[in-house]
Amino acid sequence: MSELSVNHLLGIKYITEADIQLIFETADQFKEVINRPIKKVPSLRDITIANLFFENSTRTRLSFELAEKRLSADTVNFSAASSSVKKGETLVDTVNNILSMKVDMVVMRHPNPGAGIYLSKHIGASIVNAGDGAHEHPTQALLDSYSIREKLGDVAGKKVVIVGDILHSRVALSNIFALQKLGATVKVCGPKTLIPKHIESLGVTYEPHLEKALNWCDVANMLRVQNERMDISYFPSTREYTQQFGLNKKILDNLNKEIVVMHPGPINRGVEITSDVADSKQSIILNQVENGVAVRMAVLYLLASKIQRNEN
Amino acid sequence: MEYLIKNAIIVDAKSDHHLQKRDILIENGIITNIDSTIKVSDKSKVIELVNLHVSAGWFDSSISFGEPGFEERETIANGLKTAAYSGFTDIILNTNTNPVPDNKGAIRFIKSNGDKAATSIHPAGTFTQSADGEHLAELFDMSQDGAVSFFDYKKPIKNPNLLKIGLQYTQRFDAIVQSFPLEASISPKGIVNEHINSTQLGLKGVPSLSETLQISRDLAILEYSGGRLHIPTISTSKSVALIRDAKKNGLNVTCSVAAHNLYLTDDELHSFDTSYKLTPPLRTKEDIKALIKGVKDGTIDMVTSDHNPIDVENKNLEFDHASYGSIGLESCFGTILSKLDLETAINALTKQSQFNLKSSGVEKGSIASLTLFNPSIEWTFSTSDILSTSHNAAMLGKKLTGRAYGIFNNKKLALHKL
Repeated sequence: MSELSVNHLLGIKYITEADIQLIFETADQFKEVINRPIKKVPSLRDITIANLFFENSTRTRLSFELAEKRLSADTVNFSAASSSVKKGETLVDTVNNILSMKVDMVVMRHPNPGAGIYLSKHIGASIVNAGDGAHEHPTQALLDSYSIREKLGDVAGKKVVIVGDILHSRVALSNIFALQKLGATVKVCGPKTLIPKHIESLGVTYEPHLEKALNWCDVANMLRVQNERMDISYFPSTREYTQQFGLNKKILDNLNKEIVVMHPGPINRGVEITSDVADSKQSIILNQVENGVAVRMAVLYLLASKIQRNEN
Repeated sequence: MEYLIKNAIIVDAKSDHHLQKRDILIENGIITNIDSTIKVSDKSKVIELVNLHVSAGWFDSSISFGEPGFEERETIANGLKTAAYSGFTDIILNTNTNPVPDNKGAIRFIKSNGDKAATSIHPAGTFTQSADGEHLAELFDMSQDGAVSFFDYKKPIKNPNLLKIGLQYTQRFDAIVQSFPLEASISPKGIVNEHINSTQLGLKGVPSLSETLQISRDLAILEYSGGRLHIPTISTSKSVALIRDAKKNGLNVTCSVAAHNLYLTDDELHSFDTSYKLTPPLRTKEDIKALIKGVKDGTIDMVTSDHNPIDVENKNLEFDHASYGSIGLESCFGTILSKLDLETAINALTKQSQFNLKSSGVEKGSIASLTLFNPSIEWTFSTSDILSTSHNAAMLGKKLTGRAYGIFNNKKLALHKL
């Protein structure tokens, strides 16, 4: 059986196309599992996983927890929105304390870019990055590409536009890397103030007009406006943002083709996307959520199989 | 005590002995003879080393230690020992201590703590009281006690009027004001060079614009006010161009570059290793090319190690949380010589006069203030080469060319056993 080329999932940057395909094939099997009446397999019953969330999260944490439970792993949860750092404990100390209780894998969300990479140099457990600052959110990108593959048959050759706050978005960055590795073409669209100055160095193009971008694409991934990450105002008002970059039914119906609409959630209904678009048949937002569990099961399963193999 | 340096190649473009192999006799701290062969007497201590070269003592315009306030990073005593073994006879001590040196008592403390060492310590004083960025410190009073330059370390001068007044006020006593080239408000929370790597890594960027905006402003103020302005540690190609033009126009401006900014690019950031968290940040290959050209044509007056020891508790952290800075004294010469020819390197390391400090040449009758070095040795900088108390070194693991043996200065010989 093939295995991943890495011992941690720290970012899409660090894995190969073959890794992604292996994760997808494994996720296909788990998707079948979670649709059975008994949604559980015993694969990870000897594995203990710590979910360490140093930054708030609802859906990613739930999705990971469900994935872990459906693989029969033991789980512990730790949430501390940077508070342990404020108390004086370092990240390595916090994690080592938890690992002393014989934890095999760590799923970590952290506000600082590179936190997972830093941790991987200091601890022995396998790490899954569940989002590190504006760096990467690899499992989100995997489930997004998996959902495109499911809907359109393949990711290769597809045109994808990512709309919104690219500057503060780990989802955008991981998506760009994943889509490119799988052979898709990527454009970004949004207020210029929220686009990294050197974005084109990543091999993507910038389109300032939403309708042009939508007419070009097969898939539109509408990102959430992340007000909590903005120190200053990057646009004058939400109203103006929506006027220029909000996707509504009228725009969707006027396009020259039927596109797929995605959103990583949580949605600000009426801001980046209107309710009728979110709930339309072109939207695969809820499929993304369902696929999230299957993809995360695949990632955990494949990484855990490397731990067990190392022990042997 | 009498010292006889045997078979040393003298590197001093102003000396008749330039690039000649000579013996050098030092008596009571004065060079009393330079000749092709000087006879060894009973009382002379003989110094004979592999591929020994001797130049005027080296000068570093940007050194941080930590004492007072951050002795866990570095003490003045061990810092000066590190400087001596790394070839430096004169260093300017930056103002990032606690408390900051904003009065003559603080300047005296630093000078008296360093006065027994082979390396001479020249403290900088803060530009403003408590480095508050608002109220001018007693610059004249500090200069009387030996403060050689004034700045609030890497805290940029936000108020242009304050810089104008500082440059005007210091003209009567010929003092040098430093202005750190950063307009931080254009890049809020920026920590690394804004370019391809920052984009890939999700690290907040500092565009070269942040540096050139401040330099443009400062040069415009200097043109108006007169005075002497030093811009420490520039890092971008545009900064070189701006200063080159300013010098052509006759402005009294000097500048420096950190040795690691001539060698490392922001490609290093992919490891998220906080040793590379530096201010100014590591930039691109194109910037390095322009900076090297700037040193060669004299636009950049001097190269500094920008030595800044940081204890492990403040450095071995997530990238966002780690302190800025790297030690650099130990690797400074090897880094520079890996990028520049020997004469340019020595020239960039002997610019004491730009800070009103004396530099003696390798001449008979001069005060012996000399650096002893081997310019051809190739070595890899490893942790065992670190003499500093803190080990935060951006140049670790890099292949370097050239290394100092030590110095003769203040009537003392300080040689590093390699």
